[in-house]
Amino acid sequence: MSIKFFWQIPTSGDGRYADAHKRIRGERSDSKPYFLPGVTDPRGRRFNYFDHLHQVAKAVELAKFDGLQVRNDPQGDESWIVAGYLSRATRDLIVLAEFDAARGSAVYAAKNAVSYQRFSGGRFAWQISTEADEAQRRRNGDYVAAEDLNTRIEEFVIVARHVITETDYDFKGRFFEVLKGGFQGPLSGQKVPPVYLSGNDEDAYALSARVADVHVLDAQPLADIRAQIERLHELASATGRPLEVGIRLDVLARETEEEAIYDAKRYAEQSGQSKGVAGGALWRGLTKDSTGASAVLVGSYQQVSEGLAAYAAVGVHHFILGAVPSLEEAYRIGENVLPQVRSLVAGTSQRAA
Amino acid sequence: MAIDVFWRIPTHGEPSSLRNKLHHRGDWSQQHGDHVVHKGLSGGHDDGFTNLDYIAEVARAAEISGFQGGLIPSFPMTDEPWAISSFLARETSTFRFMIAFQPGFLNPVVAARMTASLQRATGGRALYNVITGGGGPSQLWWGDVAPHDDRYARTTEFLDVLRGVWQGEKFSYQGKFYQVEDAALPAQLLGQEFPEIYFSGSSDAALASASKHAEYYLSWLEPFDQLREKFDRVKERTDALGRKIKCAVRVDIIARRTEEEAWREVRRGFENLDDAARERYKRFTEQGGDSVGASRQRSHAPKELTDYRDFIIHPNVWSGLSLLRGGQTQGIVGSYEQVAERLDDLVQLGADAFILASTPHLEEAYRVGEEVLPLVRGHDNAPALRVVR
Ligand SMILES: Cc1cc2nc3c(=O)[nH]c(=O)nc-3n(C[C@H](O)[C@H](O)[C@H](O)COP(=O)(O)O)c2cc1C
Repeated sequence: MSIKFFWQIPTSGDGRYADAHKRIRGERSDSKPYFLPGVTDPRGRRFNYFDHLHQVAKAVELAKFDGLQVRNDPQGDESWIVAGYLSRATRDLIVLAEFDAARGSAVYAAKNAVSYQRFSGGRFAWQISTEADEAQRRRNGDYVAAEDLNTRIEEFVIVARHVITETDYDFKGRFFEVLKGGFQGPLSGQKVPPVYLSGNDEDAYALSARVADVHVLDAQPLADIRAQIERLHELASATGRPLEVGIRLDVLARETEEEAIYDAKRYAEQSGQSKGVAGGALWRGLTKDSTGASAVLVGSYQQVSEGLAAYAAVGVHHFILGAVPSLEEAYRIGENVLPQVRSLVAGTSQRAA
Repeated sequence: MAIDVFWRIPTHGEPSSLRNKLHHRGDWSQQHGDHVVHKGLSGGHDDGFTNLDYIAEVARAAEISGFQGGLIPSFPMTDEPWAISSFLARETSTFRFMIAFQPGFLNPVVAARMTASLQRATGGRALYNVITGGGGPSQLWWGDVAPHDDRYARTTEFLDVLRGVWQGEKFSYQGKFYQVEDAALPAQLLGQEFPEIYFSGSSDAALASASKHAEYYLSWLEPFDQLREKFDRVKERTDALGRKIKCAVRVDIIARRTEEEAWREVRRGFENLDDAARERYKRFTEQGGDSVGASRQRSHAPKELTDYRDFIIHPNVWSGLSLLRGGQTQGIVGSYEQVAERLDDLVQLGADAFILASTPHLEEAYRVGEEVLPLVRGHDNAPALRVVR
């Protein structure tokens, strides 16, 4: 089975080397000149963060990732707009847009998705996630009870799949209702966006077994991931649906392990987490505030490649990777890590054959 | 106040003229009432291009020819304007994306973030055409169960929340359709231009919503006196709320060097009508739905199709356009000068902006931009500096 590598697009700000401070690259304010008065600045307000995101997407494509993941961060730019903007700028990348099922009508989302498929040659994919924090949900105008969030996702996906693939489709659920729905003519026959769901509890696994194409696990040590994958596959085979597994993981890879650890420590200090992040190669929470990843795989190119290959060996086929800063690290990982992982994975599957 | 002129984006695929439907642009066409999908832009084989590539060219033509931007409609069979706008953000310079959408289909807090991001992606070139749905079975097709007047109340609430969130201070709202608590756009998305709102809908419920939130009340072309009366009514209602509203007309035009040439386009199209088109016309005159605007249009339609001239309801106004292409019925037909004069007549009766369209939208954007727009005076009553020919 082929392995897919995604790179995360940082919708709410990016960083720089040796500086954990989040910044909105490309943007500047009139009140705070970026250069000293003795140096002219030709940029004015001509650029903003979208120009940087465009650069990152091009880097992801040139560094030979399979796709980009557009994060849904309520503190950042909206993921569908970013996804459309970047789709037009890229040729072959899968564009995995993360969003919340609270965004509105499932039919309308599906209809928009059909346009994304038509315009991108079928490269659009959905990562539907839930907001765990109730106060944040209310800020998002979402008053659905916590125990109903999975039901809403399930209905959302069911309705979307059917209106994309059928006509005369009727549905009456708790959250969505459709009568004689379904896209016709030019909007018919488009690929349903592959659905990525996530969550680390039994309910989330069961939901994925019922409706997802891919279940994305948070970064965990290998043994935990292996156990979770077994459980996911059990549930999926009970529903008779194919379900693949992904992982959301940040990477910090350097030529030597020593350099990687040095940079990880500096990042921890700069972001005010002086103790307790390190734990073998997997540093928990190191970049959580910045990229949302629960852990970072830290090590030499060789070590990180082997670490990723080990996840692949236990059944992870979708790697949603990220790092700070996004642009520079996309090239670094594309040049120094992905080729190694790909050949390790190819070697393993050859031996297995 | 100078007049803003927009073009329209043909998301429905289009023939290369109104005379017949032989050739089509876009990756699909509406032939004999069916929707035929082509592979590729040129038809027949997959050439790697899609309808978006044609749309992009029309948008570029509109900006090059001096239009503000274009209305991007939203219909069950066509591509969605939010998608089109985000995909084309980087490919256009001054083109303003007028996004038609039904607010009920989006969470207003998400819509605020989408809009602010689109403003950032385009340098402030997004604006709205707020529509509220024609009702009938098609509303349920969209997954919307709300009845007519509720839909407008929901539209009003949606715009209340969107404006509230846009300010950047924590905003809470308890409406019938929407509730939010402490909502605000994230800091980096603040300070963008709030999208101008063009509002469509002819019913009382529509006017109530428009008068609270819209910058422009947008109407299809209607008989001139009727339109004057409608615009006066909208302006009165808005004045009563202590606000000002402007009016806009969405109208197709067929403009040629001579009036005769313009009518020839109409006549040829009319002569070429096939049985399917005649059948569609029959259905149109009998159609249902709760749209007040659409029934206002239907009431001017002759029962039989005998002579194209039966559809002339005012000098240079032809009410049979929906026979030649899908959509609304009344359009302006005439020489460049006549079309410009009729547009100026509309300005005199209250229009402050236009959304124009003509088939094929690509070449016609250049023609109208080059030949008609330079003749429009708008509110400026001084004799125009017309080129002596
Ligand atoms: C200028 C104009 C443009 C419209 N564009 C659209 C559109 O793109 N998509 C759509 O579904 N309805 C469109 N409509 C229809 C409105 O959404 C609505 O159905 C109609 O105005 C019915 O409302 P009423 O009963 O208040 O007249 C448009 C209406 C007008 C006047």
